[in-house]
Amino acid sequence: MVAKLFKLHYEYIKVALSTAMEYKVNFITQVFAMILNNSVWLVFWWIFFNKFQMLNGWTMEDVILLYSIVTISYGLGGFFFGNRLNISHLIVNGKLDFYLTLPKNILYHILISKSNFYDVGDVIFGVVLAIISLSLSQVPLFLVFSISSGIIFVAFAILVNSLAFYMGSAESTSKHLFFGTLALSSYPMSIFKGAAKIIILTLIPAGFISGIPISLLKEFNLGWFLVTLGFASLILFLSIKVFHRGLRKYESGNLLYVRT
Amino acid sequence: MNLTKYYYIGKINFVNSFVYVWDRVASSAFVGLIIFIFTQLWQIIYSEGQIISGFSIAMMLWYFVMTESIVTSLPSIVKRVGAEIKEGQIANYLNKPYNYLLYQYSTYLGKAVFNFFLTFLIGSIVVLPILGGIEFNFLNIPLIFLAVILAISLNFILMMFLGMFSFWFEESGSLRMIYNKIVFTLGGMLLPLEIFPQWLSKISKLLPFSYIAYYPAKLFVNFNFGLFWQVIRTQIFWIVIFSGLTLMMYKIGVRKVSINGG
Repeated sequence: MVAKLFKLHYEYIKVALSTAMEYKVNFITQVFAMILNNSVWLVFWWIFFNKFQMLNGWTMEDVILLYSIVTISYGLGGFFFGNRLNISHLIVNGKLDFYLTLPKNILYHILISKSNFYDVGDVIFGVVLAIISLSLSQVPLFLVFSISSGIIFVAFAILVNSLAFYMGSAESTSKHLFFGTLALSSYPMSIFKGAAKIIILTLIPAGFISGIPISLLKEFNLGWFLVTLGFASLILFLSIKVFHRGLRKYESGNLLYVRT
Repeated sequence: MNLTKYYYIGKINFVNSFVYVWDRVASSAFVGLIIFIFTQLWQIIYSEGQIISGFSIAMMLWYFVMTESIVTSLPSIVKRVGAEIKEGQIANYLNKPYNYLLYQYSTYLGKAVFNFFLTFLIGSIVVLPILGGIEFNFLNIPLIFLAVILAISLNFILMMFLGMFSFWFEESGSLRMIYNKIVFTLGGMLLPLEIFPQWLSKISKLLPFSYIAYYPAKLFVNFNFGLFWQVIRTQIFWIVIFSGLTLMMYKIGVRKVSINGG
């Protein structure tokens, strides 16, 4: 069963790759633009740290590491589960019928049926930053966090997109909640205090995507390490549950359309 | 040339914006979140009563509210115009009794003014309780508003200019992304140019992008007449230059359009 899903995933990626290769210049431009887009944030932080040197214990090196983990985990999510942000659109427009009629795990099939190849730009960017900023002994932990943060990103996307089962038109809301989380995870966690800090470690999981992993890479703590992995597993479990619960409310629109 | 029709196009779009108000509130709330992050960030940097590069903490945050409200007031015109050109919808404009550029301008300006006020309101709700207001002469409001309108117009024409490249290139999305990020940084949306290293600040001041974000926001937090005249003069200069270039590209580009019925 699992092997068959992986085989299907592999086939989807192959098709997406051949589509991307059909428009090579477009593909290369998009990857390049993504790298440039990310670099601008580093320019912002470079100007900032050039003036202020330190931000509550965070230095430019820490911010480089933060961007590395955020871009790799976000990019991997976009590459392997590229449809994660379209779920609410599929629900609202009654387009889940296609997946419901096939003998495959519905949620997994939805997630893999699109692969954003330009997210390769994010991954390349993140890997280059990791090479610059990581010591060899940090690599295994970094890889674990890239995967756990990737899981949190995808699971959170499923959660907020599943709102469409309950709210109707939730496309805009889910998009803003997801990108709000991405924005919050792109700033040093040390700037948040009080209620804001509690929120980014609970309702909006930005702290577990970047802040805690960076602290642990600097100074390992087994307790927080286990909490981070536990949180990633919990949010994944929750997102699957919420999606399937919502699915019971789904109503088809009897829409006929062609998937190309 | 009769300009009344453009006034009505703008007015219709301004009024129309109220129909989709909640969708826009969500977008402005997102900007509000970013402004909140920056209040947290600057509170770490500033100690009690400190002035950094001529900015108190309240000035720094109100500056940011202003730049965000201006820059995010326009949708991604590069992408929209690019799509209109690629998908052939541009043909709809060719047989209408209006100038293409002015039509687009009045359409987007109407929406942008609405979006500007909404984001500014949400930004104020975030900043006011945390940091309070700034010293401000209310008589300057019409002058600052003029600089804001010119900033939005300059942003519009630069995006239209980039959109025109779609007559020749398929992919305009990447251009949009890069342009946005240039305005964010070199334009001074995220940080005032005083924070930049001197060489970079000098380059940014020469480029048109700083007249979209930095200068109007600087006028807002620290108004003086000398700066005001310099800002609006330069804004008008860049608007005229890029309007000419965009019109030229449109005239050349539109000849390439082939219409195959509809």
